[in-house]
Amino acid sequence: MSSTSTRVQAPRVLWLTVPSLVWFAVFSVGPLAAMFVIATLRWKGLLYEPTYIGLENVGKVFADPTFHAAVRNSVIQVAIAIPVMIPLAFMLGYHLYTKPRGYRVLSVLYFSPGLISISMTGMIFYGVMSPNGGVNGLLSTLGLDSWATAWLADPSTALPTLIAIDLWRGIGWTAVLFAARLSSLPAEVIEAAQMDGAGRLRTMWQIAFPMIKDYVRTLAMLQFLWTLFTSAALILLLTKGGPGTSSTTLSYLVYAKAFSQRDLGYSQVVGVVLLLAGVAGMLLIRALLRGSEEDSR
Amino acid sequence: MSAPRRNRSPLATILSWLYALLLAAPLYYLVVSALKTNIEIFTRPFALPARWLWDNFGTAWRTADLGRALVNSVFISVVAIVLTLCLAVPAAYALARQDNRLARVITGTFSAGFLIPPFAALIPTVVLAIESGLFGTREFQMLFLPASALPLSVLLLTQFMRTVPQALVESAALEGAGHWRLLISVYVPIARPGVVSVTILQLLTFWNEYLFSLTITGTAPDVRTVQVALPMLVSDATNLGVLAAGTVLAVLPVYVAYSLMNRRMQEALTAGAVKG
Repeated sequence: MSSTSTRVQAPRVLWLTVPSLVWFAVFSVGPLAAMFVIATLRWKGLLYEPTYIGLENVGKVFADPTFHAAVRNSVIQVAIAIPVMIPLAFMLGYHLYTKPRGYRVLSVLYFSPGLISISMTGMIFYGVMSPNGGVNGLLSTLGLDSWATAWLADPSTALPTLIAIDLWRGIGWTAVLFAARLSSLPAEVIEAAQMDGAGRLRTMWQIAFPMIKDYVRTLAMLQFLWTLFTSAALILLLTKGGPGTSSTTLSYLVYAKAFSQRDLGYSQVVGVVLLLAGVAGMLLIRALLRGSEEDSR
Repeated sequence: MSAPRRNRSPLATILSWLYALLLAAPLYYLVVSALKTNIEIFTRPFALPARWLWDNFGTAWRTADLGRALVNSVFISVVAIVLTLCLAVPAAYALARQDNRLARVITGTFSAGFLIPPFAALIPTVVLAIESGLFGTREFQMLFLPASALPLSVLLLTQFMRTVPQALVESAALEGAGHWRLLISVYVPIARPGVVSVTILQLLTFWNEYLFSLTITGTAPDVRTVQVALPMLVSDATNLGVLAAGTVLAVLPVYVAYSLMNRRMQEALTAGAVKG
């Protein structure tokens, strides 16, 4: 390393980071901090004057059955989506990495939901899931009319349908990322294991998995955060949190309270809860997937 | 680098193609629905259209005013990407050249920012837009989107700029090159793959952005983006064929770009998550 000579000659250049830091502070850090302030206000919609009421909103939120439903739905959503998505994506990613026949076609297909925006995904599934849409049409072609339902308007299927869409877009995309990561590593170790006659499953889980465990953890955290935070958009497009509160998640509650029910204080208390849940979940994932590096550190 | 042995596990093969089929089915359904009437969509969901109803595309285009929405999307995305690069490239240059405690704090700030989804602060951002008088304008999105893109862009570009050979920098400095000369004639050319990756990755993110566009830029026909315009086709009596046709039109630009440079794009998008 030439770090000593670099350091001696290193010119003062960090001022060049100032514009980007200012930008980041104004548009990202500022709004994030403002959440905590808005959470203490009584504020009936954006056009009204807010008044300070301290922690009153917190009591209101925690006593509200809608909030309880949202907590439950968010827990169900991430507790199903992430443990299903990450192992399946890892296995598919490993499969892609071994370059099976037709892997180019597979990787293009797996990749493609990553190109489609959430709004377009919503519109595609609006058609697929509507009472006279693709899924019901398919069921009736198969003679299974009795299984047909209004998937997004039935309290027992609305949330599962949304979770299924999360998995539809998430698994393949994550698999492509795992495959890219695996092929960026030296191939000798895995080849050697295969030469030694290690079985497929053993090579995959006992050789390849530990090699990218840190990365699996990173993607698990990212997918967790995306699922937890950004479910609002898809719910807004497809179910509006309903029927009743059957598909209201914390993320959607933040949106709905601010824009349709005009209670910004409430909305931002939920926003803070969401932020804390995000941090707690990240710490949990980190503990569960403790990397090999950390042990030796 | 040799690839590992070809895989022969039949179960993995079957499952991987089954999932591929699950991915392809809604996309196929979308495309064939775009050419059908509501009735045919339901009675023959996965069959090819009996009569190819090209009118759906014209109806979708006119009803959602997609032409204007496309112009708005392009305008916002292009201005935002230029601004992102103007902010991120100098910052990455500085972080690549200096490695002290302050530089590490700045890098740490951006790393933390990368983890927090922008959605977390949606409502305060709307308040900011109102306070700054830019609510309901495209300009706010042009200013805001770069901020959400900065953490990843700076981190990625810094990694690429760290690969610039020290000897090259020293000889250029001996010739009296200042920061801007160094940046433009040494660092940017060498980090070009990184700049390309960041550009592709963030252009796609900007193009696809939905909730902030919906709540801040809004649904007025003269400012709304494609992502906001298209869901306007949903109503109590949605014409599914027209909706599907509109969706095809709105997704098409991304797929055309992907087919023209799929290797590059796949590299860019995986780099975003692999290195982040």
